[in-house]
Amino acid sequence: MGVHNGRAAAIGVLALVVTLSGCSGSDDASAEDGTRSVSIAEGEPDHLNPGRQTVAFDQTMALFSPLTSIDSDGELQMVVAESVESDDAVTWTITLADGWTFHDGEPVTAESYVRAWNTVAYAPNAWENNGQLANIAGYADLNPAEGEPTTEEMSGLAVVDDRTFTVTLSAPDGQFPLQLSQAQTGFYPLPSVAYDDLEAFDRAPVGNGPFRMEGTWEDDEPITVTAWADYPGEAPTVDEIVFKPYADMNTAYTDVQAGDTDLMFLTADKMTSAAGDFGDRVYSFDAPGISFLGLPLYDERYADVRVRQAISMAIDRDAVNEVIYGGLYEPATAFTPSAEQGTPVGLCGELCEYDPDAAKELLTEAGGFEGTMEIVYPGGAGLDALYEAYANQLRQNLGIADVVTKPSTDWAEFAEARTNGEMTGPFFSRWGALYPSQQNTLRTFFTPTGGCVGCVPYTDQEVIDQIAAADATVDPDAAIEGYVAAQELIMADFPAVPTFFETYNFVTSEAIADLPAAVGSPILSQIVLAEDE
Amino acid sequence: MTGVAVTADLDPTDAGALPRRGVWPGLRRRALFWVPVAGIVVLTVLTVAPGWVAGWFGNGDPRVCDLSSSADGPVAGHPFGFDRQGCDVYANVVHGTRASLTVGLTCTLIAFALAVLLGTLAGLRGGLADRVVSRVTDVFLGFPFLLGAIVVLNSFGERSVLSVSLALALFVWPAMARLVRSSVRSVRDAEFVQAARAMGFGTWRVVSRHVLPNAIGPVLAIATITVGQVIVAESTLTFLGLGLRSPAISWGLQLSNAQAQLQNAPHMLLFPSVFLAVTVFCLITLGDVLRDALDPRQR
Repeated sequence: MGVHNGRAAAIGVLALVVTLSGCSGSDDASAEDGTRSVSIAEGEPDHLNPGRQTVAFDQTMALFSPLTSIDSDGELQMVVAESVESDDAVTWTITLADGWTFHDGEPVTAESYVRAWNTVAYAPNAWENNGQLANIAGYADLNPAEGEPTTEEMSGLAVVDDRTFTVTLSAPDGQFPLQLSQAQTGFYPLPSVAYDDLEAFDRAPVGNGPFRMEGTWEDDEPITVTAWADYPGEAPTVDEIVFKPYADMNTAYTDVQAGDTDLMFLTADKMTSAAGDFGDRVYSFDAPGISFLGLPLYDERYADVRVRQAISMAIDRDAVNEVIYGGLYEPATAFTPSAEQGTPVGLCGELCEYDPDAAKELLTEAGGFEGTMEIVYPGGAGLDALYEAYANQLRQNLGIADVVTKPSTDWAEFAEARTNGEMTGPFFSRWGALYPSQQNTLRTFFTPTGGCVGCVPYTDQEVIDQIAAADATVDPDAAIEGYVAAQELIMADFPAVPTFFETYNFVTSEAIADLPAAVGSPILSQIVLAEDE
Repeated sequence: MTGVAVTADLDPTDAGALPRRGVWPGLRRRALFWVPVAGIVVLTVLTVAPGWVAGWFGNGDPRVCDLSSSADGPVAGHPFGFDRQGCDVYANVVHGTRASLTVGLTCTLIAFALAVLLGTLAGLRGGLADRVVSRVTDVFLGFPFLLGAIVVLNSFGERSVLSVSLALALFVWPAMARLVRSSVRSVRDAEFVQAARAMGFGTWRVVSRHVLPNAIGPVLAIATITVGQVIVAESTLTFLGLGLRSPAISWGLQLSNAQAQLQNAPHMLLFPSVFLAVTVFCLITLGDVLRDALDPRQR
């Protein structure tokens, strides 16, 4: 017993020491040695190599700089590129700005891009961001349906000189400059040192971004990046960023509340409590994400457009937003998110407005609804309250006796059923685009090769042709008109119910005074610290 | 054992009727017996006619929900307030009784039937049958109850009152079976059983008229307690997202939905937990009282 108590006391002392040092740890960063540091709660990264990462956007975007970027006003800016130009939307000439080097001093040249892109696109490498390059001519040669590719280089890439290279696309695409922006990390350059040891590079990447890697990434350990003095772009406002891995974001939430961590992405289950816990330290950014209530168009009960419109009008998006998302989302009024350039906000009109009487009338005109309406969504993902709210509203507002929610066992089961067209009722359907062009969202949902198979089980040749025509337009404004025309065509068929324009939401500690953002995500190099105010 | 001895002393040929005659006067005088009985009567009414009880305040449909009242507190017509979806908490709690009690009873009945069958077989026959049954119960008792139920439910996929009851019954029967076995063993060599055998009665008659009536008392008491425990287990599993699922209405689901909003809307958590606690209290108390009466040696 005595031993037991002694040990307990020792643990107590230890805990106290840890707590104390923990406190000083968070302060010393900015106060004691003058390092202006911010810490960010993240999940554990999968990779730090930009050609491979799928969840480490923050880290790679700090370590690397893109060719172009979308700024906080949603405008396209040149970063490493001096210009990205084309006359026909097929052949693009990319000229690099002068003075860019990697952290190890190697100049960023045309070759840094061409070699990197060929590596990303080479199927046997199995790099995760391979698909981002799919429209470059010769991609198919590196990604044959069967067997090994016979070449290692895409025919569409050609180095002109150190600072210039050309990209030929397999189909005209006027949105190409947008695709080169910050979140499409598959288009980042790689230094030649990367190819010496790709494993080591993944753990300690040498980039061309505002921050350089400090040490090596160890599993489940924080990753520290420090401001790079020779950065030719806009100088970072902080000296150091610490990416802290959290297995449980609830822990991160309390850590940010306590000031031990400075910034985190707000998960949906915390949206209703964030305003109370953080007050004006909740930041909500329009994001290129949109949620739909997908409809099983292969079920004849949903074949009449009036049924689909009735479902849309029976949903009180404002009430759902308030109760489920703490008012942080925005009711959807078009088929692409409002954060995407030129989205015709309001296109949906009264069909996306809550009007239970009109909804009921439309459903009656269409002949009513037979049987049980099952609302299907992936279980175990915290979506229950949202889909229960939809079910309650559809049952009461449409007068359908049986509207029930039907969560799948897990994501895999849901995704398989959706891809195979086996949804038994209205279902979960959302997409977050990596570049804020209507092209990305429209392609994803409304073309057969879009990447979200079954998300909106609708193929209309006229729509597909219209999207392709807009893709082929070089002039950005004319292209936007083309995409809007495609949305108008889709609107007539109303194949899915737009529910929310998503926002990406963040909460910060008191150390952060302002959080500039672009395309829904904070610009980590431009965080405004409270001590600077 | 003692109950058996008492009856054996009194009248070996009509053993079945006597324990009741002996137990009832004792029970009847105990307040602790009537309190849970009253509670269980109320719960039975809720289970049989939830719509009638739920309608007392004019908003009896648990599926009429208005998001604009989300998490509001009690108001006239809604004595328990609203849940996150804006549904009436009172109506939901009342309708939730059925799911909880049904799972409790179904599971216990299945386990009870299994336990009596296998326990009697083991206790009466002994030998190989006894060894097999005993080892099988050992194996099942080796699993932690909740963990076992989680594993089984996860492999079921489908979540209904029946599947949850079955999953729980799978881990409830062994304890009861052991009790039946030891109870039966203690009776099987009693003089009145030997007498019945000597009179040439068949095994079925000996078991059903003489052995079981004398051995079943303690098991019944434990079964009553088990109903309470199963209801708790069902709520736990449902709370963890492994038991019943919406659109089922159950206390576990209500607790699970309420936990995230505990600070803003404690009433959402309070009312289902009060109902759950009272139900379990009634069943476990009744079980205790019954056990005391049937098996005074343990008092």
